[in-house]
Formats: sequence, C-alpha cells, structure tokens
Amino acid sequence: MLTNRRRAAWLALVALAGLAAAQGLPAQAPASGTGAIRIPFEAYALPNGLTVVLAPDHTTPTVAVNVMYHVGSKNEVPGRTGFAHLFEHVMFTGSGHVPYGLHDRLTESVGGSNNGGTSNDTTTYYETVPSNYLESSLWLEADRMGFLLDTLDLAKLNAQRDIVKNERRQGVDNQPYGRVGEILAAATYPPKHPYSWDVIGSMEDLSAASEEDVKAFFRVYYAPNNAVLAIVGDFEPAQAKALVAKYFTDIPRGKMVARPTVPTITLPAETRLVYEDRVQVARLYVQWPTVGEKAEDQFALDVLGAILSGPRTARLTKALVYDQQAAATVSAGQGSNEDVGEFTMTITPRPGHSLTDIEAAADAVIDRLKAEGPTAEEVQKATAGAELSVLRGLESNLGKAMQLSNGASLHGDPGYFRTAYQKSLAITAADVKRVANKYLTKGRVVLSVVPLGKLDQASKPGESKKVTGDAAPRLEDQR
Amino acid sequence: MKPHNTRSPRRIAWFVAVVLAVATLPLVAQQALDRSKVPTAGKPPVIRIPTWTRTTLANGAALVISEKHDLPLVSFSLTLMGGAYQFEPPGRTGLASIVASMMSEGTKSRDGEALSNAMQLLGTTVATRIDGESGSMNFASTSGRFSATLGLLADMLVNSTFPADALERLRAQRAVVLAQAKSQPGSLASRVFPMILYGTAHPFGQVLTEESLKAITRDDVVAFHKAYFQPGRAVIVVTGDVSAAAVKATVEKALAAWPAAGGTLVFTYPPLPEKHPATIYLVDKPGAAQSTFAIGHPGPPRSTPDFYALQVMNMMLGELFQSRLNANIREEKGLSYGVGSSFAFGRGPGAFQAGGDIISAKSDVALVEFVKELKGMGGSRPVTDDELASAKDALVQRLPGTFASVGGINSAIRSLWTQGLPDDYYQQYQKEVGAVTRDDVVRVARQYIDLDHLSIVIVGDRATIEGPLKATGIAPIVVLDIEGNAK
Repeated sequence: MLTNRRRAAWLALVALAGLAAAQGLPAQAPASGTGAIRIPFEAYALPNGLTVVLAPDHTTPTVAVNVMYHVGSKNEVPGRTGFAHLFEHVMFTGSGHVPYGLHDRLTESVGGSNNGGTSNDTTTYYETVPSNYLESSLWLEADRMGFLLDTLDLAKLNAQRDIVKNERRQGVDNQPYGRVGEILAAATYPPKHPYSWDVIGSMEDLSAASEEDVKAFFRVYYAPNNAVLAIVGDFEPAQAKALVAKYFTDIPRGKMVARPTVPTITLPAETRLVYEDRVQVARLYVQWPTVGEKAEDQFALDVLGAILSGPRTARLTKALVYDQQAAATVSAGQGSNEDVGEFTMTITPRPGHSLTDIEAAADAVIDRLKAEGPTAEEVQKATAGAELSVLRGLESNLGKAMQLSNGASLHGDPGYFRTAYQKSLAITAADVKRVANKYLTKGRVVLSVVPLGKLDQASKPGESKKVTGDAAPRLEDQR
Repeated sequence: MKPHNTRSPRRIAWFVAVVLAVATLPLVAQQALDRSKVPTAGKPPVIRIPTWTRTTLANGAALVISEKHDLPLVSFSLTLMGGAYQFEPPGRTGLASIVASMMSEGTKSRDGEALSNAMQLLGTTVATRIDGESGSMNFASTSGRFSATLGLLADMLVNSTFPADALERLRAQRAVVLAQAKSQPGSLASRVFPMILYGTAHPFGQVLTEESLKAITRDDVVAFHKAYFQPGRAVIVVTGDVSAAAVKATVEKALAAWPAAGGTLVFTYPPLPEKHPATIYLVDKPGAAQSTFAIGHPGPPRSTPDFYALQVMNMMLGELFQSRLNANIREEKGLSYGVGSSFAFGRGPGAFQAGGDIISAKSDVALVEFVKELKGMGGSRPVTDDELASAKDALVQRLPGTFASVGGINSAIRSLWTQGLPDDYYQQYQKEVGAVTRDDVVRVARQYIDLDHLSIVIVGDRATIEGPLKATGIAPIVVLDIEGNAK
C-alpha cells in the first residue's frame, strides 16, 4: 500500500502508473522483441554513502528527481504505527534554508509537480520540473535530507498530524470496506510482526507521536547512506554530477541502518472473521501469506493472479461472474513487499448468493487449478501484456526514476526492473501449478464484511469470529 | 613559491601541502556553499508542440496522425461527438454506459470469450466508453501489434451482436455497484450534486437509478448503437510509432465496412432551472467520520471567451496545492486531507464545484472558510503578483508533460475535437494565458462564482453537523435522504 501526501482526486498529480507497473510487474511474454525495454543509466556513490543514479533522456524537456529512503512502516515500533507516513508529511513543512511553501513554489508553480509516498518498505520524495529547475530541485531535496530538524517544531508536527488523521478518515474510517486492509494485516501476521499493521497506522498512535520521535527517526533513517537519488530526463550528466556534489557531498553519513531479517510466515490453520461495516452489500476477502519481492516465487504468483481473475476467461471471473452469475466482481492477485507478500482474493456477490456459497464456489475453482495446473495458453495470455505495460512505464521520466530507485533500494541494482521482466516471461504452467499448491492452502484468513446487524450474512457465520474493531468513527477524537 | 631543487626535502613538503590543499578543496567549497541562496533557474526549455496531419476517410471520419518514434508504442482512439446527454432517451439513464460495455460482448464471428482471448494474446484491451458529451473506442499497443488490434476494434464497431443474456448480466452487476454507491460518501455527493444543480428536466441532472436501469431493453441498445456510431461525427487519432503514409491505408482498410453516415452534431441544451437562493442540502449519513462537501452551481461552457482567465483564477482558488482553499482548509487549519475547486468545461453548462472531505466536528468551520475564500477571490482578498505568476507559469509550463506519452498526445489532440477548438490551440495557449491580468481574474471570479445562488451539498452525520451548520447563518438547510429527496 502506498499512502500519499496529496489527494490525487483533486489535484490530479503525477500518474503513478509507471510506479504501479514497476511494483506489480505483471508477468509478460515478448512480442516484437524486448530491445526497447531498457533505461540507459549510470550509478555511483558519494563518499557519504548516497547512491546516485543518472538517466538522461531528452525526449521531454522535464527532469524527474526522486529521493527514496529505505524506511517504511515496517520500521515503526509498536505504539507508533503510521509514523513513517506522518514523518513523510513533516518533510514537506520546510527545512533549514527552505521556508514553508517554497518547495511548491519551485515545483508546481513553475509547471512541475511534487509528492511523496510511504509504503511498508520505503519512503520516497519526488518532483518533476521543467529542466531549467533541476538545480533548485536538488537544493530542496538536499536541504530536507540535511537540515530538516533546524526548523522543526511541535506546531508543524501537530498540523501534519491533523491532516494525516483526516487522510485516515477519508481513506479508511469513512470508506465502505475501508478497514479491511488493517484487519487482514493484523489477522495474517503475528502480533508485533513488522507487516502486521497498515501504513496509515492507528488514530491512537498518530496522537502519540512526539517531536522527539521525529528527531530520532530522522537521525536513524534519513541519512544519505540510506537513500537513493535518481535523476531522469532532460539534463547533461556532467552538470548533474557537479550539482549533486555541490548540494549533497557535505551531508554527513549516518550510522549503519540495522536491517533485521523478517521471516515469511505460514498460518497453521484457517482464521475466519466477520466484520460489520456501514456497507449495503456484503463482501468476502480471503488472504494467504506468500513471499516478498526478493523471492523467485513472486513471479509465478503474479501469473497465478492473472489466470484467476481479470479478463472474462480468467478462471474465477469466468466461473463466478459469467457462468454461475453469482458474483458482481472478483479479483485475486499477489502483492509483494520487500520481505513478505500476500495473495488476496475479493468477491462481491450478486443478490441472492450467500458468502458461504461464494466461498465454496471459489474454492472449487482454485482446487481444480491446483489439481490440473493451467494450460500453456493461459500462461501465454497472462504474460502477453507485459511488454506493453513495461514500455508504457518508460514513457514517463518519473516512472523511470521510480523503477531505478526501487531496484537500487531493494535489490542493489537500479536496472532490476529488466531482470524482473525477464523472470516474469520465463514462468511456465508447472511453476504456476506449484505455487498454487504451495501457497493457496488452508492456512489463510477468510474475512466477511457484512452490513451492520447482519452477522448472519457472513460466510459460515457459526464458524466466523467477530472482529471487534469499531466501524464507528472516534468522534471524541475530533474536537 | 616556485621550487628549484627537484629533490630537496623542502620541495617534498611543498608537494604534500599542495596535495592536501587539493584534497580538501571540495570541503572548503562545501563550507562556502550558501544554502540560503535559492538557485536561480536558467532559460526555460522550448515548449515543443507535437505536429500532426489530418485527412478524411472514405466514410467521412476525420483521421489525425502524429508520429513519435522513441519507443515502439502506438495510441489509437476513435472518438464520437455527442454522448449520453444527446443520445439517451428519457428514462433510460445508464443506457450509454451499457452500450459501451455491450461492445465487448461478441461479434458475428467472435463470441465474448473469443474477443477477450484475442485481446489478451495481443497484450491489450480495446476500451469503449461513452460519457456525457463524447464517447470513444481506444487502445494502446506495441507498434508490431497495432494492425491486429485495430482489426479487433473494427469488428467490435461494425459487427457487435449485443446478446440479450449479456445485457441481463450487466444490468445485475450495475445494480450492485449502484447499491454500493449509496454507502460511499463521495459517490453520494456526486449523485445528489447534479440533481440539485440541474433538476430532472436537464440532461446534466440525470443520474442512474434502479428504475432507469430496469427500463433498458435490448432494442434500446441496438437503436442507440445505430444512431450513435456514425463516422460523420467521428475523429480517429493515431499517435506514436507509425508512419503517417502507411497508417492511413491501414485504417482505411480496417474500417472499410463502417458505412458513411451522420454529420456535424449541434449541441443544444434546455434552459437551466430557475436559480434558487443559496441553500445547504444535507444528506444524512449517520456516523460519518467526515462530511463530504460539494459547493457550486452551473458554470460557463468551454466556448466562453473567459476560459483562460477562469483557468488562471481557478489555479489560485483551488487547483494548486498552495491554492487559497487548500492552503487554508488543509494546510493551515488541518480540517481535511485536501480540498479544491474545478470548472467542468464542455459544450454545455458544466458545473463549477468546490469541495472536499472535512472532519465531521468542524464542518461549520470549513463551510465558513469555503465561503470566505470564494468571496475573497472576487476582490475582498487581493490577488498578489506571486499568485498570478504561479498560476500562469504552472498552466503553461506543464504542457510538455502532457505531451510526454503517446496516450497524452492522443488525448490532447482528441480534446480539440470534443471541445471544438482550433488546430493551433496549443500554439496560442501560452500567449492567451500570458495575457490574463489581475483585473481579469477578479472580474471572472465575480462573474462566474455566484455566492447568492450556491448549492451546498454536504453528505455527513446530521446529528453532529446540522446545528453548527445552521449556526453559521450562511444558508438555510434542507435535509435529503440518500436518494436526494427532501425528508
């Protein structure tokens, strides 16, 4: 999950299509050759440990600058969930030499854009500007990397805290099915596991965050040796290198960031839950713990998702939406984080069809796929769109900057997106059959979301435990 | 000091000193770096507007081609002037959208699954959509798969069979979506807002209902398709890695079976309902954590001579992140994750709308601030030089970004047709925006934001917000149910 500083609906900012393509990398098959799937780049490190990736491309007279820090919600400590994202907001409130507001003045007000995003694993800050504003963009990013704390105060933190709480209300508390993400995370992972809470965090923890927390977090995680700076677009590398040296060289290296090993998990048995929400239509969610984006199996799991749902011939879609006409919508797919992943299925029934029936129908489809495996043609169809989607990601300077940064941050290789693409293309029907059997087991979470007072609409209501989260907003928290 | 003796100890010492000096030079330079000095921008890059050729197919459809060869990608669109507002019969709201979906349900030679399989193997999807004032079939493809994908599109356009069972499936799916929309605050606001603004007699005030969905027949679908998909009202835009000469022959051949029909569409709309005094329409959503605001009234069409001034004004009012609304209500007061404003420019009187999602308990504070900023724009809060420069630069300098992708170029060209704009629109844009003055901004704010006749739709928890909203004295309150009917 990615949580952004801005409200995309109103501000129609940077399309993250490129980023989504980079992270989701649906498996793909070559059509007209993959020669165009490349980003010529050079990478180097400054003495303070900052990784710099430069990819000039003069097609469009803009430059994208992206600074990705290798820290996300998984680095939070219990009692401070949501902090990495709250911190991201604070990074837009000005720094030692940059008064509040100037960042927008030098990006959006000159025809560019800016935003930030926080995931479980990384936090990233970016701007796309007309190419004559490259230097000011680097100046802005260097200043908040080096001098954020110079002007930090509690008032700034409190202002962003209020905004982030509203972000949570808008995206979670006041949204039908909005709490599903955090309920599934808490049910899938053991308590205190770094992936057991959602990026947005809880209201209580957001309230608890202090100025000292900001300072400590900044000192540990916002050092150049924990960051990747990618510059993509209309610039001359020699000039960019000189500017990077000018603004970033004297930012001191921080301590080594400890990266505890986060084990993938398996569930010994099925967890069945029911949650009452302000919804009109019940919905079924099933989540299996899988593997993260460093594991080879993620590529086959991506293909498995495309074979199960999406086009009308996909197995779950065909069976539930078309042949049986029992569901209005079906989706299923792998989501990969750095260390762990989940395969999640969502089904909205049509009136007259119970979640119990829907779950049984979906299980029958999955069991059959596990027994037979997919056909070669199903794999071919699932991967045939990859080339197009990767190529479209290369049209945007920001999309390319994200791919290079992700690769450098998580895989130590800015060009990793190409490796991932090739691995996706190599997936076979046997691979898909194997991962379906390995991961889509009884060790899973089954969550029914039902309208208030309709617990009997849950799938197998007698066996499902009521989740005691509160659908009601915390009004006492508001004034 | 210039050394004499190549081997004297003294010279070695000097050499070491030089090395040290060089080695520390960057550090010295860094210490001298004055970070408080804002780097100055160089000369702005030249804005390159894509070029295109236009021609006409034998059946009368316009064909526009713009080449771009840096990646092996093509973007294709076939756009029809007019949409649901022009072609949906009374009581059939939702028909246009159903027709668009029915285009993927099968042709004379391919059933729905065969079409889907063919598209999957080509790695793409032909998408059909019909909006209020225009509709399109479009796809993106790699250059090698362009012709084959175009062949599928042509089959869907000319040979669709509209199977009756598909209509029933789509109807049932949309009924579920409609039910879900009534628990989603944003969807509720966007249903009720146009009903209030335009009334049920104006096409802009029509929304999908259970009744209109039930009323749609297969005959309606067939008749709509026949009347709507006519080449005389179509523009086809191909952008990307193609050669203009070759692509014309390819398109002409693929669409040879699409017979000539149709001509220029004249957009006419019934008069707007009589203005009513400013009113708060409160849609009760018990327990809502936020109130969803939609404040506005019908606005001017795209053809208004004040278009550029309105764009500049709206940038500073509610489009830029540091616009007045967002800077105040989000950044300064922390009442929302984001607020803004927009004009829905088109052939008809699209809405002016301001709004966002506001923490329930402070809905009254936000309402006061919304009204204050709308009023301020009309002169009580002067426009600064910096606001004006920001708004104008942002509009002009973002153009290159819109031309970065083949899809972006395609929609930029297409919009000239749907909005009725001249071929040199983008060439003139910089000049037109540049000519907008501070007086223009204030004048259009006064002229096009009518504070006395605002419709203020708020979807939220009545028990929490009604009293405080009333106490603001801004406008009387009418409470509505989720269907938009007065309680």
